[in-house]
Amino acid sequence: MTIPALVLSLLLGFSGFAALALSLDRHHRAVFRTPMRGKRVGGLRAVGWAGLALSFAAAVASAGWSFGPVQWIGSLTGSALAVVALIAYRPTWLRAAALAALPLAALDLPLALLR
Amino acid sequence: MSRSKSVRQSMAWLHTWSGLVVGWVLFAIFVTGTASYYRPEISSWMRPELSEAVSDPVAAATSAGAFLRKTMPDAMGWSVRPPNAENPAVEVYWWQSPGGPFHHALLDPSTGERSKVRDSRGGDFLYRFHFELNLPPIWGRWIVSACAMVLLIALVTGIVTHRRIFADFFTFRRDRSAQRGWLDAHNVVGVLALPFHLMIVYTGLVTLSSMLMPWPVLTAYQGNGLRYYAEAGLMIAGRPPAGRPGTALPLGEIVARAIAATGQTPEVVMVSGPGDAAATVTAYFEEPPGLAHLHPQIAYDAATGAEIGRIGEAGAATRTGAVMVGLHEAHFAAAPLRLLFFLCGLMGAATVATGLVLWTVARAPKGADPDGFGLRLVRVLNLGTIAGLPAGLGAYLLANRLLPVDLDGRAEWEVRGFFAAWILAAIASALYPRARAWPLALIVPAFAFLAIPGVDALTVGEVRFLGFDAAMAGLGLLLAVGARLTARPRQNRTRAILHRAAEA
Repeated sequence: MTIPALVLSLLLGFSGFAALALSLDRHHRAVFRTPMRGKRVGGLRAVGWAGLALSFAAAVASAGWSFGPVQWIGSLTGSALAVVALIAYRPTWLRAAALAALPLAALDLPLALLR
Repeated sequence: MSRSKSVRQSMAWLHTWSGLVVGWVLFAIFVTGTASYYRPEISSWMRPELSEAVSDPVAAATSAGAFLRKTMPDAMGWSVRPPNAENPAVEVYWWQSPGGPFHHALLDPSTGERSKVRDSRGGDFLYRFHFELNLPPIWGRWIVSACAMVLLIALVTGIVTHRRIFADFFTFRRDRSAQRGWLDAHNVVGVLALPFHLMIVYTGLVTLSSMLMPWPVLTAYQGNGLRYYAEAGLMIAGRPPAGRPGTALPLGEIVARAIAATGQTPEVVMVSGPGDAAATVTAYFEEPPGLAHLHPQIAYDAATGAEIGRIGEAGAATRTGAVMVGLHEAHFAAAPLRLLFFLCGLMGAATVATGLVLWTVARAPKGADPDGFGLRLVRVLNLGTIAGLPAGLGAYLLANRLLPVDLDGRAEWEVRGFFAAWILAAIASALYPRARAWPLALIVPAFAFLAIPGVDALTVGEVRFLGFDAAMAGLGLLLAVGARLTARPRQNRTRAILHRAAEA
């Protein structure tokens, strides 16, 4: 349960939640200022759930089956809070932040799995 | 269709009123419980004279045993906590009867006499307040349990009431009406940390389950509860006293055996019936890594040092219960995860606080109608609790630095400072003009917390407390942000009008 492991869960969860938020019309409008087009919903939802699943996998891989789920649920709260704060105060930053989180997660991956 | 609507409405009613009646106590429980995640850090900050150097636990236990033999040779029990990295002093308790009073002292490990550190209850005060509210323990625990039970009802009814839990998952409309903003804030902090909220209230009830529901054990063991604890693998079966005096080995000798047997320094050693020929010393070790809160134990004969027994293998039920208690206390959580638990705890307090404020905002009369008595009462209690408790906490920490170090009954004066500041802040906030009550009430604890680093630097000024001081400054800033946000309702209203105009 190292810091890089938790950061990895947070980053993946953040990107996943950001995609899920953008799949909702209200937030899509706030961020892109355009209404949602039909096809995009499915894509964003798939990316979003994949992000949450990867976040879970990262937590379990780095912290095991007893601590991993606890750490994952805690990190979900943190990353969802960050998404809500961005949508409320800096909606235009959300897409860039969600995209930037992915390469950071990739960089963090070896540190997180190194036990 | 109309039937499901009425179910939701009655759930909403139950959520509103169950949350209101226990809200103020719940807020205090959440805040002090959240602070308790950092109980060792608070304690060591409040006892700055303790150096971090860890001394030899064997010698420390021997001198603590000598101190206790001198102080109360015929005690029913002694408890000795050897020095460790978290608490470098030797902490001893001794008591004459199972109901207490429990006498307490910190000993200097090198001399075995009462330590010269400032007298303070440290983080233990907040920890005990979390489930005893500074009342007689049994009363406090029953009140806290009742509130937790009502919170469980409020959580479940809240989930049922929330119509769009997924669609509104990320929604915080701070630029609409005040009521919309508070409702969204209540939903966001409530829903995002919902797993934590459900876990913490349920496991909290589990920690007190033997008090809340004693009947299964009473019935199955015919009142012999101790046998249940032994059979469940929670403690080692005790021995009856011999009834004649005996001579015990130096306590350090037993600690040395415990270290030799396990490679670990015991966290606590308890002596039952010291002075009796059948005195028993039980060594409690730290929880092994894992979620469960189960301390390994070994019991020794105090006179010969022979091992009497070890704790049995815990059954599935005991382990399930221990995991729940472990999840509640989060001792297993290393620094990063503990920070998340702390954040979730703050969100729990915020859920209660936003719910309480929402109650008043939703009931504010439109136009020039006068506010009713109930509304004014809830407003005053809200201000007094949500802004008053942080003021008390700030005062508790400041009192620790500002009271004379050798004041008589110093620890009690710190607690009096806590309550005095809380009560004063609550009375003052009742007198503020209504339009500015929240910013004025919140700026008081904000300044108290922002003052802590400066006061600490002037009175103690040690580098190792920089992190703690920075955290206190951060909390002060958080309160200041709260004061600022509540100071801008007019601007919000203008924005809301503009927003509506833009949408139209």
